[in-house]
Amino acid sequence: MGYQWHFEVVVESLDVLLGGLAWTVALSLLSMAASLLLGLVVSFARLSPWRPLRGVATVYTDFLRGTPLLVQILWVYYSLPILTGVVFSPFVSAAIALTLNLSAFVSEVYRAGILSIARAQREAALALGMTTWQAMRRVILPQSIRRVLPPLGSIWVSLFKDTAIVSVIAVPELMYRGKVLSIETYRPLEIYTAVALIYFIVTYPQARGVDWLFERARVRG
Amino acid sequence: MIVTVQVSLVAMVGGMAIGLVVALLRIARVPVLNGLASLYVDFFRSTPVLAQLIWIYYALPILTGQSLTAFVAGSLGLSLYAGSFFSEIFRAGILSIERGQSEAALALGMTRAQAMRRVILPQAMVRMLPPIGSSLITLVKDSALLSIISVPELMRQSETLASLTFRRMEVLTVAAVVYFGLTYPLSRAVDYLHRRYAPES
Repeated sequence: MGYQWHFEVVVESLDVLLGGLAWTVALSLLSMAASLLLGLVVSFARLSPWRPLRGVATVYTDFLRGTPLLVQILWVYYSLPILTGVVFSPFVSAAIALTLNLSAFVSEVYRAGILSIARAQREAALALGMTTWQAMRRVILPQSIRRVLPPLGSIWVSLFKDTAIVSVIAVPELMYRGKVLSIETYRPLEIYTAVALIYFIVTYPQARGVDWLFERARVRG
Repeated sequence: MIVTVQVSLVAMVGGMAIGLVVALLRIARVPVLNGLASLYVDFFRSTPVLAQLIWIYYALPILTGQSLTAFVAGSLGLSLYAGSFFSEIFRAGILSIERGQSEAALALGMTRAQAMRRVILPQAMVRMLPPIGSSLITLVKDSALLSIISVPELMRQSETLASLTFRRMEVLTVAAVVYFGLTYPLSRAVDYLHRRYAPES
């Protein structure tokens, strides 16, 4: 245990690590925003009365939820260029993979939220002469939004942590920079400890915020 | 693939053992240990698994002077990570059993440990089954991250195969299908448990 800590290495490279954190935040925000939209499309597809569409959407969500994110990230990074002929930067590949992965989870949350609104609400809206779309937009969705907020918060927090995985395709986010720095400085203990602490400091308040959302939803019932 | 299953099982058993101890410490409000247990749970739930695995594999040996094999480091990392969320599942499960139950057990002359073992845990266990199943699925998927610290599990072997054959797309696709084959039956089983045991709420 007689290890001599050298935290000055961390202080010197703190700006590099925080620069990595900016990438982490940017990637998380972009993927979350994109998957909120894509998830909506997928959830509508899953609730569609047309069977083939429903089937495709079910396979899509099952597969993305049943395979490791790491596999998906590598697959998008290495295989999409072969299939499409377009080469994406690591950042774009990471954003695509994260968005696809999240959209499966987000769509399940939406679906549960929409289904949790009682049937009678929809029937009442239709009886008032609204079209199915109007009923969805004006009656069902506004009520669902309150119910889906807490689980979406959880998804956001795990996304924030999962972005560390894209370090394997060299996106210059926090984890990747930690890896590079620990090799350059020969100080893996200090650097990785700092990386873990930075993740903790940034994620912990968000996790508490999500706990609060759940708490509030329970109070309202 | 066998290593993937092994590591997942080790992490599940280790995680449940850690989780049970931590949950009981937090519920019993043992001074000091209670605080440490909360800190442990908060820390492991608020940092990426990958950061934890890498820290244990690369940084811990420097601190202790004891080098770990990739398999040991990986199992330890996943177990600690799993322990943090199993403890939350156990805690929620135990607290969900009404107070009256433990009071009745105590009134019948049981000690607190007996009440916990004979009355609370058997009932809580049933309620905890679905979330435990979901966690197992998460563990199988997260075990893919061990490839990064060179544990020879499914993902690592696929990577090796991919660089030998130059057929990365095919190999990755097969790996994805194998993972799906492992997790899909599990997730069906969890769905079933949810329908069967989930409390109406």
